[in-house]
Amino acid sequence: MAISRRVFVKAGGLALFSLGLDPLFLARAAYAATNRLAVYPSSRPILVCLFQRGAVDGLNMIVPHGDPSYYSERPRIAVPASDVVDLDGHFGLHPRLAALKPLWDAKSLAIVHAIGSPNSTRSHFDAQDYMESGTPGVKATPDGWLNRYCQHDREHQDTPFRAVAFGPQLPRILAGTAPALAIDDLQAFGLRAPQPAARDRLTRAFEELYAGSATGLLSSSSQEAFEAVQTLRRVDPTQYQPAEGADYPRGKLGKAMLEIAQLIKADVGVQVAFADVTGWDTHVNQGAGEGQLAARLAELGQALAAFTHDLGERMRDVVVLTMSEFGRTIRENGNSGTDHGHATAMLVLGGPVRGGRILGRWPGLDPADRFEGRDLAVTTDFRDLFAELLARHMGAPPGGLDAIFPGFTPDPTRFPGAISV
Amino acid sequence: MKYRILGCLLLLGIGSPPMTARRVVGAQHAAPLNMTVTSLRDTSSPSALSPRDSALHALNRLAYGPRPGEVDRVAAEGVMHWIDRQLTPGKIDDGALARRERDFRILDYDRGDLAGMYAEVQRERRERKLAANGAADTTVTPRDQTARRLAGQFQELAVVRAALSERQLYEVMVDFWTNHFNVYFGKGADRFLTPDYIERTIRPNAMGHFEELLIATAESPAMLFYLDNWESVAPGSVPPAAMRVRARPLFGRRPNPFSFPPRDPEQQDSMRQRALQRAPQGINENYARELLELHTVGVDGGYTQQDVIAVARILTGWSIKRPQQGGDFEFHDWAHDGGEKQVLGLRFPEGHGRDEGLRLLKMLASLPATMHHVSWKLCQRFVSDDPPDGCVDDAVAAWKRSNGDIREVVRAIVTGPDFWAPRNIRAKVKTPLEFVVSAVRAVAADPDTTPRLAQVVARLGEPLFQHVAPDGYPEMEAAWVNSGALLDRMNAAVALAAGKLPGVIVTADSGLGAAASPDDIVAVVDREILDGTMSENTKRVITRQLADITDPGQARVLAIGLALGGPEFQRQ
Repeated sequence: MAISRRVFVKAGGLALFSLGLDPLFLARAAYAATNRLAVYPSSRPILVCLFQRGAVDGLNMIVPHGDPSYYSERPRIAVPASDVVDLDGHFGLHPRLAALKPLWDAKSLAIVHAIGSPNSTRSHFDAQDYMESGTPGVKATPDGWLNRYCQHDREHQDTPFRAVAFGPQLPRILAGTAPALAIDDLQAFGLRAPQPAARDRLTRAFEELYAGSATGLLSSSSQEAFEAVQTLRRVDPTQYQPAEGADYPRGKLGKAMLEIAQLIKADVGVQVAFADVTGWDTHVNQGAGEGQLAARLAELGQALAAFTHDLGERMRDVVVLTMSEFGRTIRENGNSGTDHGHATAMLVLGGPVRGGRILGRWPGLDPADRFEGRDLAVTTDFRDLFAELLARHMGAPPGGLDAIFPGFTPDPTRFPGAISV
Repeated sequence: MKYRILGCLLLLGIGSPPMTARRVVGAQHAAPLNMTVTSLRDTSSPSALSPRDSALHALNRLAYGPRPGEVDRVAAEGVMHWIDRQLTPGKIDDGALARRERDFRILDYDRGDLAGMYAEVQRERRERKLAANGAADTTVTPRDQTARRLAGQFQELAVVRAALSERQLYEVMVDFWTNHFNVYFGKGADRFLTPDYIERTIRPNAMGHFEELLIATAESPAMLFYLDNWESVAPGSVPPAAMRVRARPLFGRRPNPFSFPPRDPEQQDSMRQRALQRAPQGINENYARELLELHTVGVDGGYTQQDVIAVARILTGWSIKRPQQGGDFEFHDWAHDGGEKQVLGLRFPEGHGRDEGLRLLKMLASLPATMHHVSWKLCQRFVSDDPPDGCVDDAVAAWKRSNGDIREVVRAIVTGPDFWAPRNIRAKVKTPLEFVVSAVRAVAADPDTTPRLAQVVARLGEPLFQHVAPDGYPEMEAAWVNSGALLDRMNAAVALAAGKLPGVIVTADSGLGAAASPDDIVAVVDREILDGTMSENTKRVITRQLADITDPGQARVLAIGLALGGPEFQRQ
């Protein structure tokens, strides 16, 4: 069944595309016509992207405690070496990320330092735009790189939960023609009514309306919508209990990670998930071992640790990636904070990860090695890391990577080496 | 069943479906309009459609949907006459909207006022952060609240205008140009430059000449800031002494308010050094590229990277006076690259200043590629997501005849055969803004004075003025139709019908009067809200749903909610 559908989409889809009919629509229609409520093979690879919006200070997150410049440039906000959770003698975790140390020891956490964009903008909105569109420097790209990945990997396009973003709107990174779901609140997803009985009745009514009267994209999308609602009803999010010992922090981040874990465990076919967290723009009173940034890092560490714990064995198929639009100045500013910088650090966690290492080439903090004399230099283009995850973890076809990152030629020799081959 | 679907889809894919295919297609989709299946190459006028159907089509595409009874009124007036009147908005009395606009304080503030307010809010926030020693601070000061309220008002004003204005086609065009010449409200100074941009740059020029609109956007502080042209300077330019020690504007970096400027001369010098370093170093191509790619000739317009650079060089010096105070356009001679350039084959001799930028914009506005690109987008908005060539050609011809008079271009599109062709009727899907506004109009609901209706539009995916990329909100259905969005629309529809949609006041009756039986209710909803487009399937489903509801009020609410959230109402 699956095979014949795939063959049809490949052969028939291309022919129809040349006639002006988008094979995407066709694939969605074909999906709708087949068996509903299928169970998805639980070994499909999953990528969870977590965007730290506001430009996280990579130097206080993953502290280069072995470099004296770090201390001389940050008299007030450097994390004392005695507080740092050492990783490899040169770098260490911020103490409030201690929850991630066991993952490092178990070799399922890798860190890419000095990673960032080839574009030098220090504008939050431009840089976030570039990191989400996957085209630094180009503003007119209509879709996000995760959506382009979904467009190119048609094989897993058989569930409305294939690409899910947690938040009120679909983020730029998932904007595009491939179907993606924005879920604000898993428990409230679907039609709203005062009582469950009224809600179910309303759902059935709309489902009949759309089934009989909708055409084209309205038809296929509505079918997906009702599939999603029905599937979620089966999953029953109100009854979810995280695994024993998985202690999610309170707040939006914890909730988003919990819901992602829940969906993954429910085997509804999630392949790509996204969430974001704000509060990283620490211009004033950043703090060192304690303070503003420390509080954010504590929440992050706790959320990631809870997530990996909650998923348990399922982590063998899951990679979590953190990203941020740029880093912050090496030298602290006059307000005990840091200003917009360039390179930052990204975390890669999960079963398939070649953990226990700091990846990328560390440029050092010497004035001569800085970007524009003030910031940590970028030695790994973020697209190289993203491409590696898509190629080696998600199984994106090698030819497809060029289309996912237009204007860029991913090269395996430049991959940071985050994923075991 | 699967093969029938696939078979029909195969036939759909062919450009000109033969009669047999159309009949098969007709069997699949309940044909809602009372018309005979016609051949494709016909209808040079709305004569193949009934007067009511023509009126409905015009109200769906050239307005934000009909209000109760409006289809009949426009049909009685004659749709072509109505269109003609809409093409001269200045002659349409809009008193009701004008009275409502008085509630919007944002209209009383100019750029300078808003800039001052914004600066105050930023300063207060910084002080609070310093005082609180970096701990998370969530207090909202009254000034903060005012700033946020004004931001919300600005969005709400756009929704209210769309819902209440009698100059509907004009409001549609304002929305079109707002997206074509997109500016992102959330980027720094654009927070206080955008309201003025809409009021004084877009709105006055929305139905004038394209060239004037283009030049107005190029000179607008909002666009100059948004696409960074304000800081594009010829390499090696040095600002005059008065501007040099000024640190970067507030929205980029924050100087320490307690010790600025520093008293120590050595520090002052290093500050000057840093200010010079932070000052723009060279040309910024951002606006030049989008001017060509998005605003004028389009991505296939035949320009090269060299052209982009040349355009950027021509536009060096196009800047803003005191941007952090909401200043006007200002041409900076000292920043201008006066050398010789060549753009798309046209030579710009050296030694010119601001005038060569104007010459460039006029040239771009008159290029066939621009006429084609912009006409294509207009045809996409009015006729079909995949605009027919004939339509675009008609628009370009009108453009040439009228020297780029937007009104004449639109007139050519909406009086052409493609606009009225049956295959293009109800073939588009409403954007979130169009859906919310048309729903509000269909039940004659009244937007209140809060920004909550604009928030509903935002929730459905189209937060106004907050599209980050310069291409603006898209027009094609694929951008808007996804499972989550449809569920949100259904929820919004049900809430509106129940009088519970935030931001609108729904009068109890909505024209249903004494209708009591399910059949009566369905008939009235079909006539008043769906304007006769309700399919047989929908009639059956709603009638069945109403069967066991005893309370007529509840029954009406359910019927209206299902109608507004159903597939027919998503179409335009």
